[in-house]
Amino acid sequence: MRLPKDSAVVTIPSHPKYLCVVREAAARMADMGGFDASSVEDIRLAVDEACSNVIKYAYGGDSGKQITVRFRNSAAGFEALIEDSGPRTDPACLKGRDLDEVRPGGLGMHFIRRTFDVVAFDEKKRNGNRLRLLKYRDRGHEDRHTGT
Amino acid sequence: MKIDIQEHKGVKVFALSGEIDMASSPALRSELMALVGRKAPVVFVDFKDVSYIDSSGIATFVEGLKAMMPYGGRLKLLGVPAKIMEIFNFSKLDKVFEIYGNVEDAFKG
Repeated sequence: MRLPKDSAVVTIPSHPKYLCVVREAAARMADMGGFDASSVEDIRLAVDEACSNVIKYAYGGDSGKQITVRFRNSAAGFEALIEDSGPRTDPACLKGRDLDEVRPGGLGMHFIRRTFDVVAFDEKKRNGNRLRLLKYRDRGHEDRHTGT
Repeated sequence: MKIDIQEHKGVKVFALSGEIDMASSPALRSELMALVGRKAPVVFVDFKDVSYIDSSGIATFVEGLKAMMPYGGRLKLLGVPAKIMEIFNFSKLDKVFEIYGNVEDAFKG
């Protein structure tokens, strides 16, 4: 399969010990896409959280499945498509806990939403889930990138 | 992640290094909750050499803190790197945890 320009695909087993692989790939791709160091770290954490959610919720902790993450840099920004073969996820779960409520858990979605401008499941995917994460470039960067 | 449990002037200090994530936080939880189960009055967690933390790592410390509160225990975080401090700030947990620059400050606080 030929990859689109400025893209990479990483497939990991659904075991937490492989999350370091996918988050490192996310950070490297964001860095190659020209994002600043702070945004790169935000992307590292947000992609990690999204994959952790797949392990916990889509696969119910089953480490014998797979997660595929497709990264792409474009003039628009940085995109990650996270695919699993678990049961359909209810989009309503894309909501974290109230930040004023102090209890363990419920922060991952906040970390994803604070980083990405678009957080949406692909409704057209028939089997499993495909979560689309997109972070737009700031206009200043895009102008520098394209020389406009 | 490496967990080095030291004792400083009678206080247990968790000196952590590396990445705290979904893979490593269960080991951290186990060590921390064992200490909390023995009703340790004060526990320091040194973040100086921690390069990364995810929501499962944060949840571990929230759980530890909540378990210490009923008996008046204190969980003090030290040397939190700027990027990790930003996560605590965003999560509004900077107002929940006692956070100090270093071990000397933590003893004074």
